[in-house]
Amino acid sequence: MTATTKTELAMIAERLDALTAQVARLAERPRQDDLYDELAPVLRVVMGSAIGRLDALERDGTLAFVRELGGVGQKVLANFSAADVRQLGDAVVTILETVRTLTQPDVMRVAADAGDAIQHADTAKPMGLFGMMRATKDDDVQRGMAVMMEVLRRIGHGVNAMAAKQQHADDKKAKLAEILGPKRQRKVLGTERAAPPKALPAAPVVKAAPPAPACAVPSKPGQVAAVIDGVAFTADGNLVDAAAWTRGLAAALADAERVALTDAHWAVLEAARADFAATGSSPNIRRLTQVAGVSTKDLYVLFPRAPGRTIAKIAGLPKPAGCL
Amino acid sequence: MTANRKVAIICSKAGLDECYPALILANAARQSGIDAFVFFTFWGLDVITEEKVDHLHVNLAGNPASGMPTMLAGLPGMESLAGRMMRKQMTELSLPTVREMLQVLEEAGAELYGCELAMQMFKRKKEELVPQVKDVITAGDFYDLADGAQIIFT
Repeated sequence: MTATTKTELAMIAERLDALTAQVARLAERPRQDDLYDELAPVLRVVMGSAIGRLDALERDGTLAFVRELGGVGQKVLANFSAADVRQLGDAVVTILETVRTLTQPDVMRVAADAGDAIQHADTAKPMGLFGMMRATKDDDVQRGMAVMMEVLRRIGHGVNAMAAKQQHADDKKAKLAEILGPKRQRKVLGTERAAPPKALPAAPVVKAAPPAPACAVPSKPGQVAAVIDGVAFTADGNLVDAAAWTRGLAAALADAERVALTDAHWAVLEAARADFAATGSSPNIRRLTQVAGVSTKDLYVLFPRAPGRTIAKIAGLPKPAGCL
Repeated sequence: MTANRKVAIICSKAGLDECYPALILANAARQSGIDAFVFFTFWGLDVITEEKVDHLHVNLAGNPASGMPTMLAGLPGMESLAGRMMRKQMTELSLPTVREMLQVLEEAGAELYGCELAMQMFKRKKEELVPQVKDVITAGDFYDLADGAQIIFT
């Protein structure tokens, strides 16, 4: 409405008030015939003014607007059922609240500013992953991100609540169907979520394998694989019982391993046997270098082929364990 | 007894944890009477480089078994810290250091070779390698040596 319209309306209201006052005064008068005489000029002024007003409204299109509004009402009636309107009525408070929130001056200003950015979108440069990371350094962007996250969180919260409600309703329906029997059950078309797969039966517990031997493991007595001349040997060719060892046996074993025993060899064999007696472990090469005081190189010279194993065999000890 | 079983081991990485398997396998081969030689190529060259061999690191990043989140494992200094910790633990278990392993391998008769192309790439001279290295050879030489050998790549 224009300012002039407003002042004119105010003027009309003022005159109507004055008229009411005059009518009240006239009513108190005893002579009725005087009433018309008194009233006529007043009514003339009022009617003239009112007609002038309507004419003015017609001229500036206000009446046309009101007519159109009626048309809109018709369209609404055509497209919405009574139930829809009732629902709308129930939700009207929420709708008004939403509208009020959205139309707060601050919110409108933010929205207008964001809209401005979209309007000038053609000048924005394309941005990659790193550009995005750089952009997140901006305080405003950070704040915006926080707001977006909060909006997302609330949307998610609402959707979850909706889903829970739906689930609750479905559960009720299912229970009802169960009670009423299969006849009442309707075929469900594929909009429902698939049922989660049933939990698999627990896998049989596999017995853990014994731990692999680490470096320097105590030697275990071997299984008897063969008995030669009353002496028991394992499948690898080591003595089953270290106590059955003699120097004569060692010489025979050394022959079998194609090693010609010298004093140096004997020193190593004795050291190995002593270490086994002390620790219960058949010494591996690293251990032998420490207990016999012989370098690795010399061990390989004395027993060129697999010194650790060969020494254990000739010294009547179990096969050495460990990696070193 | 089988005659002259051979293994050729290629060591292409120089993480403390990554080079041990090659060294241990070579040593175990010798202990079992198997001829062994190790070919150090690419980063593996660090294992036989004099000034690097005592300072090999452990990379925990991207290794789910390390138990350390990759975000943390990638922090500066983490590799050398992990390397120090692993070396300390190995000393406590009296396990040989990498340098000792190289010595043991040489004494045990395993042969150690450097890769010529990697040497050129890293601009390294033969004098900069540990004395246990027998020679610097090419990939072709490697195949000649590996004739009849089982090849292990680590």
